[in-house]
Amino acid sequence: MKLQLAGTTAVLVAVASCMAMSAPAQANDRDKIRVGSCTGSTDWKLKVGPEDGRLEVEGQIDSTRIGQKWNWQIKHNGSLSAYGTRYTAAPSGAFTVRRTVLNRAGTDTIVFRATNPRSGEACRGTVYF
Amino acid sequence: MRYVKNPVVQFLAAGFVVLVAVVAVTVQLSRRAADEEAILDARETTELLALSVAQPAIPRGLVEGDVGAADRFDRIVADRMLVGDVKRIKIWTADGRIIYSDEGRLIGDRFPLGDDELEVLEKQGTSDAEISDLSEPENRFESGKEGLLEVYTRIVAPDGQPLLFEAYYSAEDIARERQEVYDKFQPIGLGGLLVLVAVTTPMLWALTRRLERSSRDRERLLMAAADASESERRRIARDLHDGVVQDLAGTAFGLSATMRDPGTDPATAQRLEPMAGSLRTSLRSLRSLLVEIYPPDLGVEGLGAALQDLVAPAAGVGMAATVEVFGVDEASEDSVRLVWRVAQEAVRNAIRHSDAEHLTVRVRTVGDVLCLDVTDDGTGFGPREDKDTGGLGLRSMRDLIREAGGRLDVRSTPGEGTTVHLEVAR
Repeated sequence: MKLQLAGTTAVLVAVASCMAMSAPAQANDRDKIRVGSCTGSTDWKLKVGPEDGRLEVEGQIDSTRIGQKWNWQIKHNGSLSAYGTRYTAAPSGAFTVRRTVLNRAGTDTIVFRATNPRSGEACRGTVYF
Repeated sequence: MRYVKNPVVQFLAAGFVVLVAVVAVTVQLSRRAADEEAILDARETTELLALSVAQPAIPRGLVEGDVGAADRFDRIVADRMLVGDVKRIKIWTADGRIIYSDEGRLIGDRFPLGDDELEVLEKQGTSDAEISDLSEPENRFESGKEGLLEVYTRIVAPDGQPLLFEAYYSAEDIARERQEVYDKFQPIGLGGLLVLVAVTTPMLWALTRRLERSSRDRERLLMAAADASESERRRIARDLHDGVVQDLAGTAFGLSATMRDPGTDPATAQRLEPMAGSLRTSLRSLRSLLVEIYPPDLGVEGLGAALQDLVAPAAGVGMAATVEVFGVDEASEDSVRLVWRVAQEAVRNAIRHSDAEHLTVRVRTVGDVLCLDVTDDGTGFGPREDKDTGGLGLRSMRDLIREAGGRLDVRSTPGEGTTVHLEVAR
């Protein structure tokens, strides 16, 4: 029981440190980009920008290993907007998903999540647009 | 001016006016038809999109306001519905809440639906269209657009709830479609008219030529008839003058001589006196008749005397007649003959019908024009009475006058007399 609690605590700390490591970056004046590290050695990137009256969401997972299966999802204002399964591909061992979401009134909260079902590694990025 | 009277020119002018009118009407009707066609097309497109694309794709949660459901539906809309002329899509609940629009900022807003929209919501398989009022809050994101046509129809949510599916079309696209439809109408309407004009103009031209030939033939016949009548009159007048008139004149002279003969019994002379007077009266009447049948010396010099003889019977009906002839020395024989004929007809009418106290016949030259005025102060007549007042003879002369390049004008007012005015080239 103590061992399970300690494992859980380690995961939470790792997630928290992963969140702390993510930092905003600007591709241009209109796009918002955040990057960060997952709970393992994988990196994630989330970019949100206006696209023809909507918002284009681009989520990227870079594990540097080819052929890893990842389940991903995009949440918009807390609601599931898109989801799917992708494999990291050559040559970089990464994949990118792009979806458009509606540009709602007020601030849009976009969350990109990806989990590796085999390793249990989890990634989570958030952009407020 | 001659061209204005030409029937072909008149036909072409009238045809042009009709063409312009028909074009204007055709444009209006075509525009209306094209509008209806374009709107019908938009309605059919909307119904197809609503029932075949939107309704089956509505995800659960959309009606409840689930943001992710709206995103998933939007991705279908963007790919399959926002194509071509469709500029905006909105889906409403019956209480006026927008549950989806490709303009995400409108989702969740609530605007009351109009009666037409509620009516469409109630009846399955119906649709309606109207020009969007861009000043309404629901259209606040459409500012800057030229105009929109909104078409709405009913769809059903997965839970069976009726929804209003609304598609917006650019007015420019509608106008373009209208123009395309109109372009199809235009050649039919205009082409048909132009072909009609092209076909009928030569026919009318040929008909006019035939009518003109017929008119010329008729005038020639009229002239021939007038000449024949004149010859006949001349022969009758000559025969009367050389025969009966001479005999009557000789008899009257013999009676007078007998009456003055000292050897004649006074009682006999007294009985002969009324006979001689009656004979002289008959002789004057016969001479007037001869003048009327044919003036003995109808030339420039004799026109005045001929007109005097013409008005001589006026005294018999208590009418004071005056004849004035000025400046006709250089007039042609044909013009003088025409003046005399018209004067003859006018004077005859005045004596028979006018009940006038005064009758004036005035002939003068104005420039190169020989003018005749026959004026009386009689009863006159209205525009519809000339048939009953002997105007038929004058009208029958109009062709001769027109042939001579002249102009006849009859001015009359009831109670104010009549003036017959003739102008003919000297």
